[in-house]
Amino acid sequence: MLKTRIIPCLDVIKNKVVKGVNFKNIRVMGNAVEMAKYYSLSGADELCMLDINASYQNRKTFIKTVESIAKVINIPLTVGGGVSDLSDITDLLNAGADKVSINSAAVKNPKLIRQASLRHGSQCIVVAIDGKRYKNKMKVVIKGGREITKNELITWAKQVQSLGAGEILMTSMDTDGVQNGFDSNMLKKVTSNVRIPVIASGGVGSLEHFYLGHLTKSTGLLAASVFHSRKYKIKTVKKYLNSKGVPVRL
Amino acid sequence: MKKKVIGLIDGQSGNIGSINKAIKDIIKGKPYQLKIIKSHFNYTSFDKIILPGQGAYATLMSNLKKLKIIQPLKKYLENNSSYLGICVGMQILSDWGYEDKTTRGLGIISGDIKKFRNKKLIIPHMGWNTINLNKDDTVITNSFDMKDFYFVHSYIFQNIKKSDVLAFTLYDQKFPSIVKKGNIYGVQFHPEKSHKHGLNLIKNYILKS
Repeated sequence: MLKTRIIPCLDVIKNKVVKGVNFKNIRVMGNAVEMAKYYSLSGADELCMLDINASYQNRKTFIKTVESIAKVINIPLTVGGGVSDLSDITDLLNAGADKVSINSAAVKNPKLIRQASLRHGSQCIVVAIDGKRYKNKMKVVIKGGREITKNELITWAKQVQSLGAGEILMTSMDTDGVQNGFDSNMLKKVTSNVRIPVIASGGVGSLEHFYLGHLTKSTGLLAASVFHSRKYKIKTVKKYLNSKGVPVRL
Repeated sequence: MKKKVIGLIDGQSGNIGSINKAIKDIIKGKPYQLKIIKSHFNYTSFDKIILPGQGAYATLMSNLKKLKIIQPLKKYLENNSSYLGICVGMQILSDWGYEDKTTRGLGIISGDIKKFRNKKLIIPHMGWNTINLNKDDTVITNSFDMKDFYFVHSYIFQNIKKSDVLAFTLYDQKFPSIVKKGNIYGVQFHPEKSHKHGLNLIKNYILKS
């Protein structure tokens, strides 16, 4: 039986994992390579890392960090943040990423999804979608939720699937960072309208939240704070899910 | 002592970095050497060949054709020489692939590569899933039975002889996750991404086959 994937997410600047809201009060949580290695060894099913400050100067160090991480883990690695064109995708895959996640660039230029999936295969193209409720509608937002696009969430999710995305990384900006649980309602809307895998992201604070995330039919559950702060070990989450009858890799 | 030569084919179908590193770690200090195959090669000068693959069947076949690898690889396989095909590297052992367009395969293990039957299924089949052994051997030992490996694919081996299936996996339907004919192995999952069990499988293939 296919297992529900538990995916720690590293927000990275250069080679450091950081935590911070909208670039304010940025706190260094640890060295990215060390943390990646730790998660791979302690039972993570996949790893996600995002360049959250993809400036020209920081990018080179970030790519080196991707290379170093790819060398020390042997689970799949998804890399995103600051991906704006096909050459960025090629650079990350060459650095050792198994999948590349595209967000704003896909919204601005949807053709990029098709071009990328034709060149590298759908299986390595993840489209990250940030969703937010606005005037009673679920909309796609970019720039960390600061810019609301004209795209309606479900229409966009279906569109990225038809353009060849292999997976959707779905973050609700209404629940992200609050630790009150995933946005079940938004996730269910997405999973019931596409048939590519959906990774749930944004809002995990307790063990039960992981279970509720599974109930949305998301096949991957992504979390950052609860792992980085050592509130839960990956094993703890998996044992809990297993006890609730959710298939996990133990 | 003469070193055994392992060929790793770079079919420009996904990144060979992880598998390359895994092999190097395994053969460190042992009488093996690793050569990357990127063009026509002399099939008699390799003891083992590994072909990892991602993406589409047709793409890999056309890449191998462009690189002039098909002909020596076919001769190598027809000789029943030792081979490990990973994901699409396994799928092209079949007669035909039906991804994107109908493509003739290497025709080493009879069967076709077709989509999962259920149209409502979440595709690709992506993530960790269990393999169930039909039988074991020196490479695929009993210790792998019921263990989880990492899969990413939308197409599966169909119309295959039961005797060529070493292990199967369940995702809505049963499908072959390890195939074997003589000295030729194919795995549908990615052992290089499957943590310790995956590395053990590659290790067994290199050291025990």
